[in-house]
Amino acid sequence: MAHFLQRGICMEPAILSVIAFFVLIVWRFVFAGSRRGPLARAIAPQQQRHNHLLEGGLHISDPGSVAVIADNQLENNAGGLHRLDRKDPAKRYLQRIAALTGATQMSNSYVLDVGKMRFRVRHRHVSRLRDVTDPGCALEETCFYPAYKGMPKAEEIATALLQLMSNPALFDRWAAQSGAFKADGQAFRPAQ
Amino acid sequence: MNAKILTFSSHGDRTLLEYDPETADMEEVNRMIAEYEVKTGAQPFDMATGERLEKVTREQNEVLMVHPIAGG
Repeated sequence: MAHFLQRGICMEPAILSVIAFFVLIVWRFVFAGSRRGPLARAIAPQQQRHNHLLEGGLHISDPGSVAVIADNQLENNAGGLHRLDRKDPAKRYLQRIAALTGATQMSNSYVLDVGKMRFRVRHRHVSRLRDVTDPGCALEETCFYPAYKGMPKAEEIATALLQLMSNPALFDRWAAQSGAFKADGQAFRPAQ
Repeated sequence: MNAKILTFSSHGDRTLLEYDPETADMEEVNRMIAEYEVKTGAQPFDMATGERLEKVTREQNEVLMVHPIAGG
């Protein structure tokens, strides 16, 4: 009996410890839950606002990711736009100018009639028939390049078409290889 | 609708000047064109007709400055 009592006395603190342990666990969950409530309520409006901002298209929850993706897209799009700006508008201008001058596209060249003359313009190269009605007329050829460097090919051709339609005698100036000429035929010397 | 003075360039088509043709000082527009021609040799063409212009008027909505060409 004494042994039992001794054992009972020994068991009591152990049981109390276990009960205290469970109370602590329960208290921790309850207390932590009650603290998380307001925090969650504080975050919720921010997320709603964030989602509202992204309603326009992107539905990405992490603003950091949005920033990175958006930056990349902008960079990629900017690169794409840059390429489009340089090539497609140049082709569109060439088509517009071909229509304005009445030039017709033949493969990679444009045929332009000015009076009896017929020019065939391709990139940096132009040929001329002085009289398209004369079957014995010789074909003359020369090269050209714009004084302004770096222009897209289509815009170089467009420039030549506009200038030849306005002043067909420019062909002789170009063939003489005596420098650059303005559209009106005046020599141009770039300022140093 | 605004009128534009533009040119071909290595960076794509570049608008040099944009103005309201109804209210703009056309003398000022032509002065700027003349200055650009002195620097680059480019001369104005009407993009509606394809004709070279001596002077830009309120009639033109799109003017292309066309750069000189050399033979070679």
